[in-house]
Order: sequence, then C-alpha cells, then structure tokens
Amino acid sequence: MDKKYLESMLSKMDKDLSTHGIGRRQAMKMAGLSGAGLFMGGATGASAEEEKIVKSDAKAKIVIVGGGLAGISTAARLTLNLTDPDITIIEPEKNSANYQPGQTLVAAGIWDEDEITYKRDDFVPDGVKVIEDRAVFFNPQENKLTTEKGQVVTYDYLILAMGVQLDFERIKGLEEAGRAYSSGNNDQLLDTLGDSICSIYTAEGSTKTWEIMQKYIAQAKAGSPDKKTNFVFTHPSTPIKCGGAPKKIIYLTNARLKEAGARENAELTFYPNGGAMFGVPEYHDAIVGQFKREGIKHHYRHNLIEVDKEKKIATFDSKWQEKGPWDPVMKDFEVIPKHEKLRVPYDFLHIAPANIAPREIAESDLGSAKGWVPVNKETLQHIRYMNVFSIGDIAQVPMAKTGGSVRKQYKVLVDNLIAHMNGKKLESKYAGYTVCPLITSIGTVMLAEFDWTVKPTPSFPLDPTVERWIFWLMKVYALKPMTMYGMMSGRA
Amino acid sequence: MQLEFELVTYDEALDRFNLDETIHQIEISDEEAQTYELLKSSDMNLYNWLKESDFFIKYVRENIYTDGEDRKIAISDINGTTFRRFYFFKVTSSDSHYEYFKKLFTIYEESDWQDREEIGADIVTHLLVKRQDMIIDLPKNKLVDEDVRKV
Repeated sequence: MDKKYLESMLSKMDKDLSTHGIGRRQAMKMAGLSGAGLFMGGATGASAEEEKIVKSDAKAKIVIVGGGLAGISTAARLTLNLTDPDITIIEPEKNSANYQPGQTLVAAGIWDEDEITYKRDDFVPDGVKVIEDRAVFFNPQENKLTTEKGQVVTYDYLILAMGVQLDFERIKGLEEAGRAYSSGNNDQLLDTLGDSICSIYTAEGSTKTWEIMQKYIAQAKAGSPDKKTNFVFTHPSTPIKCGGAPKKIIYLTNARLKEAGARENAELTFYPNGGAMFGVPEYHDAIVGQFKREGIKHHYRHNLIEVDKEKKIATFDSKWQEKGPWDPVMKDFEVIPKHEKLRVPYDFLHIAPANIAPREIAESDLGSAKGWVPVNKETLQHIRYMNVFSIGDIAQVPMAKTGGSVRKQYKVLVDNLIAHMNGKKLESKYAGYTVCPLITSIGTVMLAEFDWTVKPTPSFPLDPTVERWIFWLMKVYALKPMTMYGMMSGRA
Repeated sequence: MQLEFELVTYDEALDRFNLDETIHQIEISDEEAQTYELLKSSDMNLYNWLKESDFFIKYVRENIYTDGEDRKIAISDINGTTFRRFYFFKVTSSDSHYEYFKKLFTIYEESDWQDREEIGADIVTHLLVKRQDMIIDLPKNKLVDEDVRKV
C-alpha cells in the first residue's frame, strides 16, 4: 500500500474522528474490529494478514480482456502466484483504473473527481504487457482474438473482464447522448444531457451531477413548500453495476438539501423498475423505513423510456399485475401483466442508465444472447470453453455487480486457473459474497453484505440493517486504499 | 401405506406435456414407506426416488400403460406434492412459481418483483434442461422382455 497515501488518509480520518471527540482506537472498538479489519473492509479482516503464497511453475500465455479493477487485480494475483507469468492485458482506456465506488461521493461534493482518477499504467503489475486497443472479434475455437486495429492475439488461457457499457440510447430523446457515450466522447455526452439531467455512472458525470445538484438545491432554497423543486431518480430494467448507487445519490441529495435548509421545498421521488428496494428482505425493509423517515417518495415498476428535455418531462413505462383466470392445471390464478405510459415532470433528473454487455461478446461464441459470459457461478470457468474464465460485471453470475463481488472472485479465478494449468481439479469456489456500503446520508452507511443465501451475512458483530457512522468512515477512508493498493496489487 | 400419484405424458414431436388426469394408487412396502417419509419434504429427492424405483416403473407398465409401446412420461403429483409447474409453467403463472424457480435455478434479481418477460424467459430456458432429467422413458416392451427372461 502506498505509505504516503495511507498516512494522508489516516490523518484525514483522525481529524474527522476528533471532531466527534474520539480517537481511532475507540472508533475501532465501536466497530468491534481490529485495526487491520477496519482498513481491509470487514470480511477481509482475517485475510488482511499476509498470506503465504506458494508459487506455481505452470507456464502458459494468459490474455486478460479488460483492464479495470477485475482485470488488473487478477493480473496482479497471477503475477504473485506464477514463477514465470506471461500475461497480456487488452484495454483501450488509459483511465480504466478509476475508483468507480467514489463516484457517488464526487456527485455529492465530498470528493473531487481527481481523487478517483487513476491511470491504468500505474497499476499494471511489472512484467505484464498492455495492448492499448479494444478486442472486437473472438475465435475461441482457435484460441485467438482480433483487436480493433487488426492485431491478432493468440492465447492459451483467456480471462474476460470487460465490465459493462451504459445504454442511454434506448431512452427516447437521449439517442444523441447514447451515441456520444458509445464513441467515448464524454464532453458531448454531458453537453447533450444538458443542465437538468445527470448520471453518476461516469466519473465526469459525477462532477456534473454535483454542479446540477447545487443549482437545484439553490432553486429549492429560493422556493417554498407550495412550489417544490422536483428531484426525480430512476433505476433501469437491466442488471446494473452497484445496484445501490441509484439510492445512494437520492440519500446524498436529501442530505445536501437538509444541510441547505431547503428540504421542505423539495420533492424527492424514486422510480425503480423493480418491485423492491433490495433483493434481501432485511435490507429492503430497512431502506423502506429510511425512505419513510426522510420523506422520500417511491413508485415501483417504473422504467424510464423517454425524456423530453425541452418540456422537462420524463416518461416511464409503468407496470402492474392483475389477477387473471383460474388455471385448472396449475390450480391457481394466473397473473396478467399490464402497463401504461406515465409522464412525470422534473426539475432535476438523475438517470441510472441500462447496463449492457459489450456487443462483441454477444456476437461471439463466448457470450450469451445478451452478451454475458456464461460461467460456472462457483469456479468462474466458461461453461463451454475450459480455457476461458470470466470475472466481474460481465460474468453471468447471479449476484450483484459490485467491486465487493470482484474482491472475492478474483482469488477464486486465479486459484482455479492455475489448478487448470496444472491439470488439477478446480476446487476454489466463489460463495456468492458481495457487499454494498449503502450511503444513507453524509456521515452514515448501512453495510449490506450477503451471499447466495440472500440473507444478511455481516462481517461485523453489529446489526447490519443499522446505519452507522463507523461504516461511513470505512467507506470514505478505508475502502479506497484497500481497493487501489490492496486488491490492485493482488493481495487484499 | 398407499402412495397416490398422477402422471403426465410427453409428446416428443410437439415438445408438450399432457395431463393424464387419472389418480393412481400404489401399495408400498414398509421399507419404501420409510424412504418416502424421509424424502417427502424434499420435492426433487422425492421425485427422483420414485422415478428410479423399480416397483414404480413396473406398476406403471403393468397397470397404467399396458400396451408396451415406447412412451415418455413424467410424474405430476405425489401424495399432494405437485410437480405440475415443471411442465406447465408459463409467463402468466402466479408469483409462487416464480419464487420457486428463482430459488431452484439461483436466478438472482436485485428486486423481488417479477419482470415477467425477463425472468419468465430465463425460467423457461432452465426448464428445457430440467424437464429432460424428469422425463421417464418407458422403452418399448423392455419390462415385458425382462419378465419373459425371468420366466
């Protein structure tokens, strides 16, 4: 871990703690943790101790497509575990190592964008080659792929860690924004969205979100309870990375409005496509309670399909179900899905866009029809190509797409890949663990941890449904160094 | 002890199941009754046990489908435990079936409301494979031939 960064982070945290009249040791006691546990993020507490690594002499050409958190952490871990690694990362973006979990904090003006901006090449392990290009054609039958610039790359083992792409284009009225995003033109994306629509799903978009949020908080402050400013938030119909993020930005907007003394002049409304706040009932109940407490409205089963930027109207596909006819074979009533369009006026609109897999995977023999990579959910090995593995957001694993999932997956993948290289059984299993530090205000976080059981699996001896300041400290001060210097070096 | 069961027939050409609509009863031994008691709370274990039991296949061949023709069947109900959802699930089926299959096939959704187009299609895809495991192949005259050999 970067010592200078760690010292700076500890100094900031100590300052924050002293304003509450307690020291670091006392704070850790409150969390029921050892110091290492706090900095490594709960479940990693035990593994924070230096692991004994037995290197393997296995030799093969390994290609990793994707140089984000999942790809680089995997490369780093392989480098630690192989005596003579031959690893190539294919990644077109120079800033692919950006710390994405910090985008919510940037969007609320807590961090600056430069605090989450990281260069890929600063984290690529020594000896790992980088091809700065996009893999566009895959030929798994012949163990080769072709890049956009025409380079043919062969491999013995392939790891797909390409993440997801945002799909603004499917929203009528935002087609131009979608095209700008697809061409990598973030400035044009933000220009096209304008001064009332924002999204924290890009780093630049987070900065813009903070600008727009301040503008409408000022409008609310100048308004009255009779003339409220409408803050509208969405959650799409596709799986998304960090399913908690659309709610985090609501909570942070709420906190900033309260701080400005403008909350009663604002209406905050969440329109999620789904029918619950969280897939784990205990966390769902806790969030519903928090929404009620904070006066945040929500309407389930609404999917954003159109935006009229001029008139500031968001149109949702509103869905519901009606009792259908009796089914004599199944011996119960059928359920008939219904839907209609609902037009909602907004002042401030935060969009969580649909997330989709890269088209080149969907078009190859490696992906499902939707582009997700079908893998054994425990071993992360491809279901058809035994020399292909996948990790992170693009892997077809029935679990939340978060950095917390990747943190558990990358070690499993490396163990199994090396086992396969040595002709051994794949014994390492991903147990489905993931974590969502759900920011509920500036200063509190509910640490939602769970696994395949879809039950809370807290790493700390504390009620996981309670919002805590200690977890805020962990989110703001500890998780970034753990991710950037722990995971990205293949150790945490 | 008596075991009550119902069957469905599988039309391979149409890839379709048809409810037989006859309730059958079979007398089982004490040992089989003990096994039943052990497995009755786990529907798939119960299904697999009966599917693999010689006494059951023999009963079906000798008392239900006696024509000796090649036939594919499946069990739709065993003593009140129903398997009909495996053969007749459709997108408009009630939520209880969605919950059952989401758990069985580990279909994770961030929200618990049924997005019927997405999840329903996913369940149907899984069912295409699962149904093949559940189908009982009654080959033409197989048991009859075996009985002849025994004689």
